[in-house]
Amino acid sequence: MKAFYSSLRRELHRIRYEGQSRYLILTTLGVVFCYVFFLTLMEEGQPQRLPIAIVDEDGSYLSRRLCHEINATQGVRVVAVYGSHAEARRAMQRQEIYAFLEIPEGTYDELLSFTRPHIVLYSNNAYLLSGALSYRSLATISKLASGAVEREVLRKKGYGERQIMGLIQPIELDSHLISNPTANYQPYVLTTMLPGMLGLMVLLLTVYMVGKERKSGTLAEWLGQQPYAALLGKMAPYTLWFAVLGVVGNMVLFGWCHFELHGSFGWVVLFTLLLVLAMQATGVFLAGMIAEPHLATCFAAIYGTLAFTMAGFSYPVSSMPPALQALSQLFPLRHYYKAVSGVSLFGCGMDICWVQVCGLLLFWIAGVIGLWRLVSDVRIKK
Amino acid sequence: MKLLKDLWDIFVIEVRRVLHDKGVVLIFFIATLIYPLIFGAIYKNEMVRNVPVAVVDESRSEASRRFIHKLDATPEMNVMYHCTTMAEARRLMQQRRINGIVLFPHDYGYRLASKETARVCLFCDMSSFLYYRSVLSGASAVLVDEMEQVQLERYALAGITGEGADDLVQPIPYDDVKLYSPAGGFTSFLVPALLVLVIHQTLFLGIGILFGTTREERQTMRVIPPHLRNEGRPRVVMGRALAYMCLYLPVVAVDLVLMPRLFGLPHIGSLGTLCLFLLPFMLATTFFCMTICSYVRERDTGIVTCIFFSVVLLFLSGAVWPACNMPRFWRIFSYLFPSTHGIQGYIRINTMGATLQQVKFEYLMLWLQTALYFATSCLCLRAAKKLRIG
Repeated sequence: MKAFYSSLRRELHRIRYEGQSRYLILTTLGVVFCYVFFLTLMEEGQPQRLPIAIVDEDGSYLSRRLCHEINATQGVRVVAVYGSHAEARRAMQRQEIYAFLEIPEGTYDELLSFTRPHIVLYSNNAYLLSGALSYRSLATISKLASGAVEREVLRKKGYGERQIMGLIQPIELDSHLISNPTANYQPYVLTTMLPGMLGLMVLLLTVYMVGKERKSGTLAEWLGQQPYAALLGKMAPYTLWFAVLGVVGNMVLFGWCHFELHGSFGWVVLFTLLLVLAMQATGVFLAGMIAEPHLATCFAAIYGTLAFTMAGFSYPVSSMPPALQALSQLFPLRHYYKAVSGVSLFGCGMDICWVQVCGLLLFWIAGVIGLWRLVSDVRIKK
Repeated sequence: MKLLKDLWDIFVIEVRRVLHDKGVVLIFFIATLIYPLIFGAIYKNEMVRNVPVAVVDESRSEASRRFIHKLDATPEMNVMYHCTTMAEARRLMQQRRINGIVLFPHDYGYRLASKETARVCLFCDMSSFLYYRSVLSGASAVLVDEMEQVQLERYALAGITGEGADDLVQPIPYDDVKLYSPAGGFTSFLVPALLVLVIHQTLFLGIGILFGTTREERQTMRVIPPHLRNEGRPRVVMGRALAYMCLYLPVVAVDLVLMPRLFGLPHIGSLGTLCLFLLPFMLATTFFCMTICSYVRERDTGIVTCIFFSVVLLFLSGAVWPACNMPRFWRIFSYLFPSTHGIQGYIRINTMGATLQQVKFEYLMLWLQTALYFATSCLCLRAAKKLRIG
């Protein structure tokens, strides 16, 4: 206990008088910047009113009507009407539009004479999100247009409204997007990415601090006779500070921004704390195993940025090659993402999330190994 | 002649400095190679296929069974569980064994038989939007197919058959053409942006480490030949930039030209256009990094700043979140970074086959940045000198 306190006092002294506070302030500012940046960047939740165009070779009542209908949807807006396909393609390459609808010459005439005119939807898949969203809006409009014609014909044939509905749409798909009914990007991306940013900062700071002890040759002075207590004492102020930061961040997300939270907020707090601790343990491991402090920071940087990919929220881990699926377990953010999305989206409790708790706790072993290595380095030096 | 000699001197000094620093070599030549390979491996499968779903069939009718068979046959979905109640399926969802639930209400078959509109409920896992996308597109494809079948049956009962019925089912059929990446894969969309970002960030990291180390060791001025310390600043900056550019030439060639071909990413752009575009991108990036890195006091600070900005820059580039939907402030903010224009231009030239004329804005912005950051990096060198004397 005494060793813990003396190490804690030493660290607090360093923070207060030896300029360590600079890094604490910088990392905190970084995390705050991320919250402000991402929350304001994706304000819309889902991109809306994406620019699209119409290639109107028909110039008829139908094409104008379609243009109006498209403009009435939330997803897209018609920014230009072109006379030819080539013009629209060039506009797409200039990134002025994400999709266009081509109405060939004679469409309206063919429709009136019932010879099934073809219209064509072009969408830009080089930008997956915008391309897919604008395609979906245009496809919906095209289906509705078909449905409108069908209904008109059936009415003329003398069918009743109920019969017509049964004929036009015999089956309807009632989709429920669990806990995110508007397919809002913010809760999906940010509930994992922002704590991930925090975790990254914790990792880099830990590696840096342990590396600094190594560089300035104060390892022996710091670790003393009771390395475990000394390690805990050094880490404690940072653990506390970043855990508070993480919890405040979660309060912003789930409280202020009203992201859906079906489970208990207490579990989210627990996982945030575990994430901070796991990142610190990983940091100690890296700083312990790699003797060159600069190299350790480089390595931590590479590992830390990969965590965002390996967490699997943007691209599911189950679709990665099997070897990488196994490797994804080595990233604390992966466990955090699984646990917190379970708690927030599906209301999971500890009966299901205990696996992730264990996963995050196992990183402590890495921390202990890193510490052993540090201790043995000190002995060798002696 | 003197100019060339000075440039050459600086060039040699800088190349030597880079090659003598293990960290920089790791970042410049190993990380630039490893990152694209890792991303290529991670996103190898491009699409999310065979998403496990559960089916709750309360109607137990012939129609619902046919629907389920078709669901299972789609590439997107894999019917893993047949549950009797929703509670059971929900439990499976909580345990993450499935990523979607398809529910057929008890009146599904009855409604179909009585020529009314039947309902299928779909519950999507929103923890990753790619699950949602796969589940929804799979279910929609089956729905369209199933609807057409039922519609034709119903029209036949009403006495409308053959082409007449076809005309009615879809009076205005549409074809869809997905341009530039027909399958809509995740790799073809994200990896090009990441490749450019890797170039941008590793250059930043490497220069940051170089500058940070000299500063840490109080060598900022000592690495410059004495006669250039006062008047020759632009030469120093140019000579250094030349060194980084030459060292990066093979890296850029491998990452931005070879990697898309290696991974089978779309690459329909002309190589000449790409080279012409990459020239100001590399220049702007080099000068940008040299400017920012002059403020890096320690080696590790540079690393932390760089890493921190990687994710931010990716989102600012407009490759993920459309640029036209960003708040104006962030959009203007994004113009400060060469990566924004670099990513936009690279995607459009390489993936979409745009000409230089069509990326005019990005191209001009990059040249503008080159001029601006060249000036600032000269100024920053002076500031560093002052600081040293002070």
